Amino acid sequence: MTRTIQNYVDGGWVDASPGASIPVHDPATGQLLAHCPDSTAADVDMAVRAARAAFDEWRSTPVLVRAQFMHHFKVMVEERFEDIAQIVVREHGKTMDEARGEVRRGVESIDFAMSVPVLMRSDGLEDISSGIDETTVRQPAGVFAAITPFNFPFMVPLWFLPTAIACGNPFILKPSPQTPLSAELLFELLDELDLPEGVVNLVHGGVPSAAALMEHPEVTGVSFVGSSPVAKIIYQTCTRNGKRVQAQGGAKNYIAVMPDANIQASVSNILGAAYGCAGQRCLAAAVAVGVGDAYDQLKDELAKQVSELKVGYGLDETTQMGTVISADAKQRIESMIAQSQAEGADIVVDGRGLQVAGYEDGAWVGPTLIAGVRPNTLMATEEVFGPVLSLMKAADFDEAVDIINQSRFGNAASIFTSNGRHAREFKYSVNAGNIGVNIGVAAPSASFPFGGQKDSFFGDLHGQGMDSIEFYTERKIVIERWV
Amino acid sequence: MASLNTFGAILSHAIELETRLCEWYERIGEADKARAADKRRRKLERARREHVLEITLEPIRGLDAADYALDLAAGMAAASAVAARFYADVAPKINVRAAQRTLERCGKEHAAQA
Repeated sequence: MTRTIQNYVDGGWVDASPGASIPVHDPATGQLLAHCPDSTAADVDMAVRAARAAFDEWRSTPVLVRAQFMHHFKVMVEERFEDIAQIVVREHGKTMDEARGEVRRGVESIDFAMSVPVLMRSDGLEDISSGIDETTVRQPAGVFAAITPFNFPFMVPLWFLPTAIACGNPFILKPSPQTPLSAELLFELLDELDLPEGVVNLVHGGVPSAAALMEHPEVTGVSFVGSSPVAKIIYQTCTRNGKRVQAQGGAKNYIAVMPDANIQASVSNILGAAYGCAGQRCLAAAVAVGVGDAYDQLKDELAKQVSELKVGYGLDETTQMGTVISADAKQRIESMIAQSQAEGADIVVDGRGLQVAGYEDGAWVGPTLIAGVRPNTLMATEEVFGPVLSLMKAADFDEAVDIINQSRFGNAASIFTSNGRHAREFKYSVNAGNIGVNIGVAAPSASFPFGGQKDSFFGDLHGQGMDSIEFYTERKIVIERWV
Repeated sequence: MASLNTFGAILSHAIELETRLCEWYERIGEADKARAADKRRRKLERARREHVLEITLEPIRGLDAADYALDLAAGMAAASAVAARFYADVAPKINVRAAQRTLERCGKEHAAQA
């Protein structure tokens, strides 16, 4: 019988309230891995109460001690690195390299949190008036929660949890019910850390538990990563309930390829950007805009290299692209490819109907390349979240920038060029939160905020970097006079 | 035999190679060489864990594990020669300098024994 996973509340593993559960499948084999409980508002309330009860003790735990917990946590993650990567592959379907890369980026976020004793320091000024000094103090702000997506089940929780708790806040994670097993292992490690009860809590489930977190009066702030429509709802609900919120939404990331770019090298990098994690990441390259003569060269080189990509089970080290997350996702992606074809686009490499020998029950969509995509059509405007790269043509640099800036999304954009002036102008004028120059996945490292503009982000302070310190702390101004 | 077409495939092949060499050196009573192979294995495991850069993962072409099959019956020098050739071929294909350096050093150690 397949087990039902548990929540982690107040320092121990507990069953969620009886009720519905969500099956968790290995998307490559179709194997049922576990059942994820659909926790209720009562389960969330139990976690929030535990977190709230932990706050006073945890906030007064010396910051160096909190940072030391992060050091030990990092060591534990390093020791279980391969186990974690394998669980990510099994529940998500990505490749081992991608899973290891994900875990590594998660570790970088723990590294960042170790710096909290420095990053939380504030400033002060003597004699702002005669005999009066003024200082700023950063204090932990309360109970924080994160609602995280399926596509980076280990990394995205670590964008938030380590910094939140290192700053002195209790924390509640609600991971995607499609990929809850990485979070389960994460909390097994946290359990070994021996933090005070209630400092970290894990609540599994779908909409009911997410809604309960957003509405609970004792939750100070919520971080979210997911689709734009949901991000907007999260933002509106949290702000209506007086909470801090950072809601990162979807994307339609464009790449401009200039005629002066090294096409062969650019394409190798664009492959990783478009088809890495089977295109299921918010920084995935979705549209490559070939400028002038670059278009035909780009199309030919992409067609060649895309056809050579090896699709298969992620645990096989030679696999270069894995599955999409589910049969539903496969159906949705294939339907979008069909719609694009009906709109007149040219399917240069068609990933529909792919079968991988030995994995007939897998959710396979092969890497797909679509040329001749026109502005305002489906592939130019809507997020696919799958292994589909569209090609558009621009007469010159200015037209390429216009095409990119027409998008309602603003998560990322990249340029491939050997011309510094084009690179500079691109950085300056493109409206996206993460800009790549000769790099297709413009993913900020942990000490920089994860950008995002327009419909790709709702909120003020982004995840990661100094934004996260601002998000997880309250600033207090102290004005002192001793007479 | 498998194609060495990813960062992980190359690093895992290197780890397997050093593991096999370590076990063989132990069996034939070459304790120093076994220790050196085990040390290389640990460095390679760390490189696979720490130097994988998610944003620059790119397909790797032109390498096949079959070209680097160890024939231990041919002796230590021959085994080191195969290993040295493997490291010399794969290191330039890796686009993260720190991992490349680990592979180059392993290659140098084998070349000195070949």
